[in-house]
Amino acid sequence: MIEAHGLSKHYGAKTAVDEVSFTVRPGVVTGFLGPNGAGKSTTMRLVMGLDRPSGGWVTVNGKPYAQHRSPLTEVGALLEAKAVHPGRSAYQHLRVLAATHGISTGRVDEVIELTGLESVARKRVGGFSLGMGQRLGIAAALLGDPKTLLLDEPVNGLDPEGVLWVRNLVRYLAGQGRTIFLSSHLMSEVAVTADHVIVIGKGKILADMPVKDLVDGASRRIVRVRTPQAAALDGALRAAGLTVQQGDDGTLEVVDAEAAQVGEIAAAGGVVLHELTPVASTLEDAYMALTADSVEYRTEALSGGAGGGAGDGTPGPATTADTTADPTVTEGADR
Amino acid sequence: MSAVATTPRPAPSTPAARNVRVTFPRVVRSEWLKFRTLRSTVWTVAITVVLMVGISLMFAAIVQVAASTPEMQEGMAQDPDMQAAGGLRGIFVITVGYGFAQLAIAVLGALSITNEYSSGMIRSTFAAEPRRLPVLWAKLLVVVTVTVVLTVVALALAWLVTYPMLDANGLTADLSDPEQVRALVGTVLYLATIAALSLGVGVLLRHTAGAIATLVAVLFVVPLIFTIATQAGNVEWVRTVNKFLPTVAGEQVISTGPASGDLLEPWQGFAVLAAYAVAALVAAAAALKRRDT
Repeated sequence: MIEAHGLSKHYGAKTAVDEVSFTVRPGVVTGFLGPNGAGKSTTMRLVMGLDRPSGGWVTVNGKPYAQHRSPLTEVGALLEAKAVHPGRSAYQHLRVLAATHGISTGRVDEVIELTGLESVARKRVGGFSLGMGQRLGIAAALLGDPKTLLLDEPVNGLDPEGVLWVRNLVRYLAGQGRTIFLSSHLMSEVAVTADHVIVIGKGKILADMPVKDLVDGASRRIVRVRTPQAAALDGALRAAGLTVQQGDDGTLEVVDAEAAQVGEIAAAGGVVLHELTPVASTLEDAYMALTADSVEYRTEALSGGAGGGAGDGTPGPATTADTTADPTVTEGADR
Repeated sequence: MSAVATTPRPAPSTPAARNVRVTFPRVVRSEWLKFRTLRSTVWTVAITVVLMVGISLMFAAIVQVAASTPEMQEGMAQDPDMQAAGGLRGIFVITVGYGFAQLAIAVLGALSITNEYSSGMIRSTFAAEPRRLPVLWAKLLVVVTVTVVLTVVALALAWLVTYPMLDANGLTADLSDPEQVRALVGTVLYLATIAALSLGVGVLLRHTAGAIATLVAVLFVVPLIFTIATQAGNVEWVRTVNKFLPTVAGEQVISTGPASGDLLEPWQGFAVLAAYAVAALVAAAAALKRRDT
């Protein structure tokens, strides 16, 4: 169980985390979703007591992390790949961490086996690939057999087999009643791994709901129509109380309508249709719709109104390109 | 990696799980493991010992040559500086390596923390011991203990290898002389204090290059400038600052022979060096507790 209340972190004038409150419950996998620079890693460092909050508080299993006398059995964290000295072997690194808690070398061997690192355990970490570094990070997180697991972008750098392994591992650990808090910038990853999702953007919580509700709620059915009589159809659709927006190259997009309904309105108005396509909103669309205003670094849209399901009247010029150095964006690149 | 995609097996709950918690002796053990599992630290220790013994041997050889060359013997007897120092002593030959050894030890002390910041290891360390300060004290204990042991070993070896040459010239160390014993003990204390000071500077600066550059300046460059300045002119404040410099003050506990009025008493001097180390460690502890990692 992780509870945050009014948690804030400022780096100078820059606000990385802005009064967030959330609860991560045991027995389920909670995804922590947001674009790069949204404050995910900062929030996780605050949970682990590595950064001091500027305001608010966060507890793990009822206490601030630093007050636990056996922190590694309370929380296992993968905060970034290779928080490891490159001159030590994987085995030595895990021994060093285990020694602080009196965890046996038997357990060190177990987590090495569990993460499939047997063949490289005696090699220096400096030569590890990103994927092996990630496995070592997960091994370190599991060392204390913790009640709560914090995994920051755990599938980064893993091959497809590794990704599948992480998903299975995470599901399995949650099944044992553990609290799992897993961050990702990929909606699809969270959708397949997590039960519950907390979406963060620009340091603020944008959504905190079951993954299913996020997908159902934020997705809208759109029907794309192409017609030489756009103005006439537009008028007819609006008259029927539907929302219409301009799509790509002269198409119209009808929001929350059935294809049949649009076809009937067109027929009733004597409008010729060249195309009538229901467009299913994807998970990515739902995610984009939520975080559209809160991405830190965005590319300019290539053509007007190209956003799949995101075009719900986003106000004016999008987010300002923020060029200040942002400590929260160094997701694992800080070596 | 064959067992990768298979369903993970349960983590056996160990019967000893009740005893799994952080204690200070365990943090010390962890820091000791960190120390001895890095080639850089092991090499630094070896180099320090070789350096100290080698320099003693070199000085002993110079003594030997001087003693067997009548012209040099005469020169030494007539050199006023040499006379003022009461002649060359065996204890000086044995302890002389500290000057270079202190640089290696400074690197050892600083590196024990800066390498954690540069590699990101510090996050793993503080995740395992989130109270942080026990990590600092454990590191202090490890670097100071290692320094004491390596200095004792180096002094013993230096005594051993220089003995034949010093003995031949009647210059062997005299352990019944309290001053010579103080110089030997002082060498150990001096280097241990340098190690502590360097750890403090390492914590404060976090970057390896910055910490080492600062330590070289404090331990080597600044004293050199002041030595030149004191010899160049008789300026009061220069002499005052000079005698309170960490190394100049600390070295008094190693020096033998007639005392100079410009410098502190041996134990006074050592107390000044120790005060610098304590100040650095207190500042380091405050910074460590407060800072983000």
